[in-house]
Amino acid sequence: MIPADRLDRNPLITEAGYGLLKSIQQHPDAPYWSYVVGDRVRVEDLPLVEAYRRALFEQRPGGSPAPSPQILDWVRAMRSRARMFRRHIPEGMNLERDWAFVPTMAREDIATRIEDIVPWDEDISRMIVYDTSGTTGHAIVVPYHPRTMAQNHPLIEYALEQHGVRPHFGPDGVACFNVGAQATTVVFANVFSVWNQAGFAKVNLHPRGWRDVENARRFFSILAPQFLTGDPMGFAELMRWKIPIRPAAMVSTAVALGSSLKSRLEAHFRCPVIDYYSTTETGPVACSDPGGRGLVVFPPDVFVEVVDADGYPAARGEITVTGGRNPYLPLLRYRTGDFARMSFEENAEGRVTARLLDLEAREAVMFRATDGSPICPVDIGRIIREYPIVQHEFVQRADGSCDLALRPVPGGSVDTETLAGRLAALFGVMSPIDIRLDPALGERMASGKVQPFRSELAV
Amino acid sequence: MEGPALDKLTHRLSICPAEFLSEPRLTGGEGVHVDAVVSDLMQDLGGAPVSADESRHFQGSPKERNWLRLVLVGAWLLHDEWFQQARTLSADAYGWLRLGLGPLSQLVSADQFVSDPDRREELVRHCLAALGLRPAGETQSQADDRLKTLNSVEREAVIRETRDQLERARKLREKMREEAAREAAARASRE
Repeated sequence: MIPADRLDRNPLITEAGYGLLKSIQQHPDAPYWSYVVGDRVRVEDLPLVEAYRRALFEQRPGGSPAPSPQILDWVRAMRSRARMFRRHIPEGMNLERDWAFVPTMAREDIATRIEDIVPWDEDISRMIVYDTSGTTGHAIVVPYHPRTMAQNHPLIEYALEQHGVRPHFGPDGVACFNVGAQATTVVFANVFSVWNQAGFAKVNLHPRGWRDVENARRFFSILAPQFLTGDPMGFAELMRWKIPIRPAAMVSTAVALGSSLKSRLEAHFRCPVIDYYSTTETGPVACSDPGGRGLVVFPPDVFVEVVDADGYPAARGEITVTGGRNPYLPLLRYRTGDFARMSFEENAEGRVTARLLDLEAREAVMFRATDGSPICPVDIGRIIREYPIVQHEFVQRADGSCDLALRPVPGGSVDTETLAGRLAALFGVMSPIDIRLDPALGERMASGKVQPFRSELAV
Repeated sequence: MEGPALDKLTHRLSICPAEFLSEPRLTGGEGVHVDAVVSDLMQDLGGAPVSADESRHFQGSPKERNWLRLVLVGAWLLHDEWFQQARTLSADAYGWLRLGLGPLSQLVSADQFVSDPDRREELVRHCLAALGLRPAGETQSQADDRLKTLNSVEREAVIRETRDQLERARKLREKMREEAAREAAARASRE
């Protein structure tokens, strides 16, 4: 008998799927679960997810430096439904000719003018929200639709397929673990209805999250997820914890994956490590392909370009996305905050592939507490965000000591003593944290930007 | 085509006689016979009197009281000698009285088109636009712009839209704070 609260969270869960979920949750070696959540997918979502899967695998359009007629039609339709589109596109504007003049959208628009972005005739009854990690100090709340999240599954399947990996999805096994290494994060198990009730768990490789490292090793080895998703810090920790697992592939997201770590992971786990570029606001955008350079832009419903500060196409610039599949967040030249070069390659059949090269995304940075446990920029960002600051620069030195420079909001007052106390608690009581207020932080840099997190610890 | 001077017509409205502001006869009741007033006007403008069928349009229910009052004010305006001398405006004038005043009468009391200077100007401009005329001394685009600024119907639509937008924004922010929305849904990878 499936309890009502689980049916609320997973409306399509079957008895077999529920049995698998319980076996993951009640496994004797399971981590300390800290969250309960489902996929919220309903039966009416399934045909749309399936149609999306077909479009992705069968009709994926080629890359182009200009938006496709489909994207332009979508933009025109959105102009009558969302104020931001109407404001950015004057009546009578020739989008084919003058696309480069359409003003860009940015995170700030989501933070301050979300009602101008959500189409006014869209039913918001199924809206859910995600807090973005906000490692730069500015977290935003992003509205989402459960169906959109379900549509992201075929995108992962596509990335895996490019590397010859075709997982078996069913209520008889675990499809995937998502692996992180943070001081604080949610940990939960789930089954996905769009993956035929296959099991999933989000786990955190932090000593406080498990009874013992041995439990974590057994949990991975017995449940044997077919592939892993996660960030480079989580994957690095998998090696350090000597987790005995042979996944068919590892999909690395969230921050930039360095080539040296990628090679080490591939050698250690003897599987492809796929670099997957995805943000909460845009969903998946690009992934690495075997032997190819950079990352291939692959979702069929986005137009990706790189632009300069004024929004004009640039050889190297900010990755900007139009389109997407989130009905609550239509994107019009949305600036991701990440930078790259773009290249277009034509194969013998005349098919053009758009690639992001030299992607300069959020850098993977890992800190260590006094006891050696991992601390992520997200853990620190979560605390710092509560104080009135414009920018910050957090550095952990090779000896484990930490410096934090803060640029307060003009007129704002930062209680550095309590902040130091909270950070000391995060790092372990013995960790000295040196906090310095610097009203000119960032002004000495040409770009005005500082590197918010830096670690001098050996990897 | 250039019409009469605006000032002359707004002044005419400001001196609208009491009988044109009297209560109209509603179905089965007492009051001014609006159909008869319209019929007289049609003849003064060089047209035919209204037929028995057409007359019935100007015998309204209590719900149409303000519209019938506005028809009377409009008829007073159209009795201006400029319109009478033109001798060609009866059909357009009939169309305006019959169909053009409904939306305005839903929003503004007929009295205000006599007592309020902006509403006087608005009614005159609506009238001239319906007759295919522009105020003397104005270009068409000046006349259009000025009517747009004064237009009560458009203003009401804008206010309603603004109010709807504020309400929608409030609901949206409420939804985004809801506990159920904040629980979100499981995602297979971290973005």
